[in-house]
Amino acid sequence: MIRAVFYKEWIKTRWFLLLATLFLMGITGYALLRVSRAMALHGVEHLWVVMVQKDAIFVDLLTYIPLMIGIGLAAVQFFPEMQNKRLKLALHLPYSRQKMTLLMPACGLSALVCCFATSYLMMGIYLPRYFAHELVRRVLLSAAPWFLAGFAGYLLVAWICLEPTWKRRVLNLIIALLVLRVYFLAPGAEAYNGFLPWLTVYTLLLACLSLISMARFKAGKQD
Amino acid sequence: MSAIIECKNLTHYYGRRKIYENLNFEVPQGRILGLLGKNGTGKTTTINILSGYLQPHSGECRIFGENIQTMRPALRKRIGLLLEGHVQYQFMNITQIEKFYAAFYPGQWKKEAYYELMDKLKVAPKQPIARMSNGQRSQVALGLILAQNPELLILDDFSLGLDPGYRRLFVDYLRDYARSENKTVFLTSHIIQDMERLIDDCIIMDYGKILIQQPIDTLMHGFRRYTCTVPENYRPQLPESCYHPAVLRQTLELHSFLPPAEMESLLKAQQVPFTALKHENVSLEDAFIGLTGKY
Repeated sequence: MIRAVFYKEWIKTRWFLLLATLFLMGITGYALLRVSRAMALHGVEHLWVVMVQKDAIFVDLLTYIPLMIGIGLAAVQFFPEMQNKRLKLALHLPYSRQKMTLLMPACGLSALVCCFATSYLMMGIYLPRYFAHELVRRVLLSAAPWFLAGFAGYLLVAWICLEPTWKRRVLNLIIALLVLRVYFLAPGAEAYNGFLPWLTVYTLLLACLSLISMARFKAGKQD
Repeated sequence: MSAIIECKNLTHYYGRRKIYENLNFEVPQGRILGLLGKNGTGKTTTINILSGYLQPHSGECRIFGENIQTMRPALRKRIGLLLEGHVQYQFMNITQIEKFYAAFYPGQWKKEAYYELMDKLKVAPKQPIARMSNGQRSQVALGLILAQNPELLILDDFSLGLDPGYRRLFVDYLRDYARSENKTVFLTSHIIQDMERLIDDCIIMDYGKILIQQPIDTLMHGFRRYTCTVPENYRPQLPESCYHPAVLRQTLELHSFLPPAEMESLLKAQQVPFTALKHENVSLEDAFIGLTGKY
């Protein structure tokens, strides 16, 4: 049954996921190309100095891309479920409704992990060729909150989409914007390092919000 | 016959608007019951409560003896649900959707019942459901329910968006299936002619209450339209056993369960100045309008 749910979500989101992954790889590739060009012009030593002294990480282009992908994936995955209240079909299946409510976002989160991993892999393969381990770590850790924001954006939009009433959707949207602000408070390199484990837990806890929307949907809440 | 669906003292409000109060009804095993009512009388509300997607203000509904608010997956396995407008996963094609649902009904799924119906549709196996006509989508939704092979079918406005040919196909297929397999069906439709060919029993709802619940044969044989000639500008004042009396160009028309002799006596007792009293049996649609009124 779990495979069947993954199958359904895959059919729904595969084209978006393919495009999103290609887009993310393209942006990551472009950011790395700029690093390569800067190295050709100024030499790798200069980049090391800029990274250490000016906190530069050279992949700032990526800042809002994971968030956009997360939001887009949630819209592609959950908007069709709410059209004509199609979600009733999934909740009528002989499978625990709570598990179904958590399994659907779990499919999306797994897909996002794969999508985001391509960007990390590209950075993880390219950067160590020219930079010290500490500097590579700095880039990857600095980018981590942006990718967590992608997961958070996904879960928050899922929460908004699954909510059955428009009034509450608007309220959820305002709360979501405030929640997402947390991921972009400090633009400095490694600014979130000490906070990253908590930010990860905070992001994962957002998955519970879908349960609230689903309970309201099941109770037949209307505007 | 044991009751498959039992609803007791069902009351529901949307905000302050009362939909109905203390609604009671039962659906016996092996019967096809149609819920009829004008728009806004609570048909879809009742379906939503029965399928567990709406918590009633008060009252209780049981299906197979189990409270529907705490419906276990094993109970849902025994219930086939058709949503209004034959809503299905439009991003899938007929092969994908069959594969998806089959995983949830091991040991009970009848793949051949689904594909037997699909073979009659002139669609490519990879054509997405989104690109099918309403009629074709209705057959996909029906095929999936037949493959699920549930004991109880709950169908919300199955005729919505269907042309006469597909409506007939849907009704005939469903009727043959339900009768031959002794299934219980609870359905609504806004096209009452379709119901006449399909249902065994009917519940006719008016705003806030059930007007009647009885076998369709009893209704069709016992309910009559009466017409008689009355003086111009006559305003009838008749008891509740005469449904919606109205005068149009010296003709009084009313509907009633009373037999002709009793009706004649009643009109005389009420001192109605009538002549040429006539009666006729009516179709289900006429009976519905007779009971609920045109307005």
